[in-house]
Amino acid sequence: MITQMKVRGLTFDPYSNTFVVILRDEHNVDMLPIWVGKSEASAISFALEGMAAPRPMTHDLMKAVLDEAGAKVISVVVTDLKDNTYYARVHLMSEDSEYSIDARPSDAIALALRADAPIFAKEDVIRQQASEELGQWLENLKPEDFGKYES
Amino acid sequence: MAADDVDAGELIRLSVHGVLPDQNTDTHIVILRDERHAEVLPIWVGATEGNAIKMALEGMVSPRPMSHDLIRSFAEHLNVKVTQAVITEVKSNTYYARIYLLTADGEQTVDSRPSDAIALALRANCPIFVTQEVLKQRGGTNLDAWLERFGTKNLGK
Repeated sequence: MITQMKVRGLTFDPYSNTFVVILRDEHNVDMLPIWVGKSEASAISFALEGMAAPRPMTHDLMKAVLDEAGAKVISVVVTDLKDNTYYARVHLMSEDSEYSIDARPSDAIALALRADAPIFAKEDVIRQQASEELGQWLENLKPEDFGKYES
Repeated sequence: MAADDVDAGELIRLSVHGVLPDQNTDTHIVILRDERHAEVLPIWVGATEGNAIKMALEGMVSPRPMSHDLIRSFAEHLNVKVTQAVITEVKSNTYYARIYLLTADGEQTVDSRPSDAIALALRANCPIFVTQEVLKQRGGTNLDAWLERFGTKNLGK
């Protein structure tokens, strides 16, 4: 089973010194934080804010290559969590063929936001994440960290 | 597969000679040289892009696909060939590049920052070119001062 997720926020985790993308399901029941690098966080932030960089950033280029190839991003799915590493797949449609390509969730999310494609997470991943120190981590977050992208 | 539509004179093939961290800023400098080592073109890039270029240069494979690995992976799956990267223009110290793709519909080009173009070209094993016009405009005085500061010993890979 997979659940559709929306990017609800992007925050900085001072404990790991990295950025965290917060994915939540539509009913705000499930949550999946994904730790990403600085440049991926910036790529996601640009898309969330609807800002266009003066020069195409890496994920804009990624999208442009897909456009020229006549391929459409159907969806991205966070598929697995192993040893604190998340795995994702990007699903493409080109002509009549479908492709499923291995990606880091950060790239998959940055691309999905640019392609207006839905983001899903496997329920196993959400369950697994929930069991790992999530509660403790959440206690360290301030409410205003979440505010920005709440709809 | 020549870049006929780049009308800025003859194209010069470059190879990536090395990537150096810029001590003063959070950036890297990619050193491009022509085959006869007559020309040097340093391009300042972000730390992430610099690392992406460095990894490809050193033949390092990340356990997870990095952003440019993913672009190459898309191209491979979709049967698109990345044929060349061309640094086409420099305006107010900003470099512009184009990536040439061979798709089912023929040759297409996409606008790119040189850093992405180089990182992708190294992964796709395709040549990197610069227009003569860009080499002419790259700003002689700055370059001389810069080369003096780094010294040629740093230019080795």
